[in-house]
Amino acid sequence: MKKGDFIIIAIVVIAVVLSALAFVSFDDASRVIIKQNNKIVYDQSIDQNAAFNTGTNLVIIEDGAVYVKEATCKNGDCVKLGKITKKGESIICLPNKVIVEIE
Amino acid sequence: MFAKQGNRRNRIDVKRLAIYALLVSICLIVGYLENLLSIGLSWVVPGVKLGLSNAVVLILVCRGDFKGAWAVNVVRICLSALLFGSPISFLLSISGGVVSTAVACLLTRFKSVSAIGVSIAAAVTHNVFQLLAASVVVGFGVMGISPLLIALGAVCGAFCGVLALIILKQEKIFKF
Repeated sequence: MKKGDFIIIAIVVIAVVLSALAFVSFDDASRVIIKQNNKIVYDQSIDQNAAFNTGTNLVIIEDGAVYVKEATCKNGDCVKLGKITKKGESIICLPNKVIVEIE
Repeated sequence: MFAKQGNRRNRIDVKRLAIYALLVSICLIVGYLENLLSIGLSWVVPGVKLGLSNAVVLILVCRGDFKGAWAVNVVRICLSALLFGSPISFLLSISGGVVSTAVACLLTRFKSVSAIGVSIAAAVTHNVFQLLAASVVVGFGVMGISPLLIALGAVCGAFCGVLALIILKQEKIFKF
């Protein structure tokens, strides 16, 4: 490890903090928004239990937690991710271009 | 291929070609094993991988062979997208790969930065530009995971950097 390495690590730490401040909010969860192909297809309070099918992904909202139960993509990363509960968290399915986020 | 001896401009350095081909295949098999065993950090963020094949490119960069590093990296990305990926995964890895290789090549010019620093910077820029490409595809919502991706990129980069340093010290394998 040389001097330059520590400078790079310092820059990375600053970048983490700045990006956290810019993109993540720490308030309580309020709304669940599901976007498909960049269009909003679902926008409801998180307190309302629901099951929403985008045609490719089956999204379940129950007891303040949101998760993807089924997906048509082959790797199924969005299903493996499990439940999200906090504001600013999101589930992204790149192959199907679906974003589930809590705002 | 059949250039006459002495005609330097047309001569292909066969040894070098074989070594690059070998390195590309090492990258591919390491990447495949990573996928298979998911040594990645998929339990933290799905899709995050250690990126061991980047250590191979890093070794070339640290030896000053920028041309070789570019060749190996671009060929690796194209081949792994053809073999294991999709058009979207190709877009993500090429945008991350090109920018991170450029950053790595630039940083080796600074004497005070070791392989570890180069690797961390390259891994972080790789993740950032991959995320930017993803935000073009699916929208700005993906930026929410940027702090986590930057931090994980730094950890994975440090690991690859240490690995590359260890390998670089074994001078016996670098007769080429």
